[in-house]
Amino acid sequence: MTPGALLRLTVLGIGVLACQPSGAPPTSDSSLVAGAKIGTPPPAVADGEWSLPARDYANSRFSNLAEITPANVKNLHVAWTFSTGVLRGHEGQPLVVGNTMYLVTPYPNVAYALDLTQPGFPLKWKYRPENAQAAVGEACCDVVNRGASYADGKIVYNLLDGHTVAVDAATGTELWRVKMGDLNRGETITMAPLIVKTRVIVGSSGGEMGVRGWIAALDLGTGKELWRAYNVGPDSDIKAGPRFKPFYPQDKVANSGTASWPGDSWKVGGATVWGWISYDPELNLIYHGTSNPGPWNGVQRPGDNKWSAAIIARDPDTGEMIWAFQPTPHDIWDYDAVNENILVDLPMGGAMRKVLVHFDRNGFAYTIDRATGQVLLAKPFVPMNWASGVDLNTGRPNVNVDKATAQGKNVKNICPSLEGGKNQQPAAFSPKTGLFYVPTNNLCMDFEGREVTYIAGTPYIGGNAPETGGPGGYKGEFIAWDAVHGRKIWGIKEPFPVWSGVLATAGNVVFYGTLDGWLKAVDARSGAVLWQFKVGSGIVGAPMTYTGPDGKQYIAVYSGIGGDMGLLIAGDVAANLPFDVRERGTTLPDLARYTSWGGMLFVFAL
Amino acid sequence: MSLSTTLYAPLAVVALSAVAIYRAQTPQTTRQMPPVQQTPSQPGNQPTYFVEHPDHIQPGLAFQGRWAALTNPYEGNAQRIAEGAQLFVSYNCLDCHGADGSGAMGPSLQDNRWHFGGTPGDVFQSIYEGRPDGMPAWGGRIADDQIWRLVAYVRTLSNGHAVATENFTGKTIARTGH
Repeated sequence: MTPGALLRLTVLGIGVLACQPSGAPPTSDSSLVAGAKIGTPPPAVADGEWSLPARDYANSRFSNLAEITPANVKNLHVAWTFSTGVLRGHEGQPLVVGNTMYLVTPYPNVAYALDLTQPGFPLKWKYRPENAQAAVGEACCDVVNRGASYADGKIVYNLLDGHTVAVDAATGTELWRVKMGDLNRGETITMAPLIVKTRVIVGSSGGEMGVRGWIAALDLGTGKELWRAYNVGPDSDIKAGPRFKPFYPQDKVANSGTASWPGDSWKVGGATVWGWISYDPELNLIYHGTSNPGPWNGVQRPGDNKWSAAIIARDPDTGEMIWAFQPTPHDIWDYDAVNENILVDLPMGGAMRKVLVHFDRNGFAYTIDRATGQVLLAKPFVPMNWASGVDLNTGRPNVNVDKATAQGKNVKNICPSLEGGKNQQPAAFSPKTGLFYVPTNNLCMDFEGREVTYIAGTPYIGGNAPETGGPGGYKGEFIAWDAVHGRKIWGIKEPFPVWSGVLATAGNVVFYGTLDGWLKAVDARSGAVLWQFKVGSGIVGAPMTYTGPDGKQYIAVYSGIGGDMGLLIAGDVAANLPFDVRERGTTLPDLARYTSWGGMLFVFAL
Repeated sequence: MSLSTTLYAPLAVVALSAVAIYRAQTPQTTRQMPPVQQTPSQPGNQPTYFVEHPDHIQPGLAFQGRWAALTNPYEGNAQRIAEGAQLFVSYNCLDCHGADGSGAMGPSLQDNRWHFGGTPGDVFQSIYEGRPDGMPAWGGRIADDQIWRLVAYVRTLSNGHAVATENFTGKTIARTGH
């Protein structure tokens, strides 16, 4: 399917021009998905609180708060702001527990606790952890942090230099600090840990550094490591035992994590866990993605390269692999599968199914049976040309050989680019509409592979891949997605990739931010932009909502451009670095006209 | 960091000295701090709490210290610069500092702005000893004459790049994200 054909097929709803609030009529109810619901119980906190990265274990990023509605959102205004003191990419989201808000900054990963009951919201405490400065140069894609988790009176989060810390939520006292990664090998940590029962689930970054990816569980009380599972290597290391039952026959191979690699190349094979973790308490399974294999240059690692670029279900008590699925076997486009897995129950073919919905870097949106790993549906959600579809008998993509990358060959115009149809910026799901709200990129790339040598602690990439805007003259789109039928309901085209997370609310208003610094409120049904506000620096974090001590609903979001898109692609670095002045990147040549680096929390209310 | 880790592809660069564990023999002169000029204290002649600041003290002098005066035997040598460009790729400098040093994970090398000094000796020191934000210390791991080739190459990258003013009409360059 050509990208043009894809667009024609998927633009079914009412297009809304970016930056122009409009009164588009509501979409008919036939575009809503009746019966769809969040697949896990509500979190054990009040509706007005937000204690986990995505609020619930399902990763829905849905809040029951409903004071803000399509009718009144036009009255939204800035209530207060807070400067984090750090100029770097502010991914992730604040937490609110009780009447305290908790923030974690990019490196050096300062944590703040703000007292929401006092005028001016003074700090209860500020925690400045030890954090090795060398980590700044080992992190591939800016020095981001995707936030903390709260449970049992503890704030738990990861440090860029490879540590996990727990802090007393009341006092800011460090309770434990555990080294999880080896910085000298290029292991950093940027992901938000997820607390499951009494365990803290942590994974590493470093897929561009030739590390060997892992996921681990720590005891919440002590920080003691309870298990660690690698994602590449022999069955004993990846914890693929008698309970491992991948859905597809071709995956039922002994030692799949070594047999699908040449020689010992799996030892530097990537497959890191730098995205979001989900948890189904009923099935007692956690779900995580894994990064690209190392290096990008696929000539150096023929084979499926399991379990890189994969979605994996594990037992949170033991780490055992229960099932695994590779959206992109033998990834040669840097299509990590780390994007969040949203756990929902959907009416599929007339019967309710427990599924996870995953918007992969490779441009396909997958609806997968989360008990078995069976792909029920896989449809493009952005323009793409690297594959013509997914074979549901095998789960494998039908690769367009013209777009297969190779060493010493410059393959032109591959869509999506290595940033993916969507990257780490998390989508949201609303049970009110049954729809997913997805921040997407519309970028394509040329890709030339190159032989690369593994040198510990340095990049292990072996490819050059300049990017350009995809077909249609826009570079990002905020879309509403029906995961039962695999179709886009509506979309809001943006001049830049949509690199922020999404918040869905029971008031039927969804929120997202843009790289050029607009926070937008959208009608969850029609896709009409109802309100927008220009914050100081581009938004790469995820909006969240909470109830203040005054009983009002607030919307909070970080402003602070950065991450891969801000630092590497735009090439506009923080202005407080006089020794590092870069020429603009061709991919987003105008971004620096509309925003510059910052580090602020913006909070809005009616 | 160690290069003793198994290499998965040959370091087939230029036919220079061996890559692995070459113990650098830096000229002795580079290892010595200039002798500190001290005025002998003369008890009884002046108060002990009085310290005279010599007028040649400059802020940031520490970054222009003992290495700064080293000269690069390959400075301006086209053949050695070309070899340095190959080493820049082979030692994975490229993926940190960007294609042609345009900046990526690590800072740009095209802007003629130097965090730790831009003389050949300063740049040699940055490569040899590493720098705090994660620049690895290559000294003793690759040969000094390879470092000098890299220095000669890196110092050419700023040529013709005027970066002080951005008016959004100038040229842009292709960048690779991760």
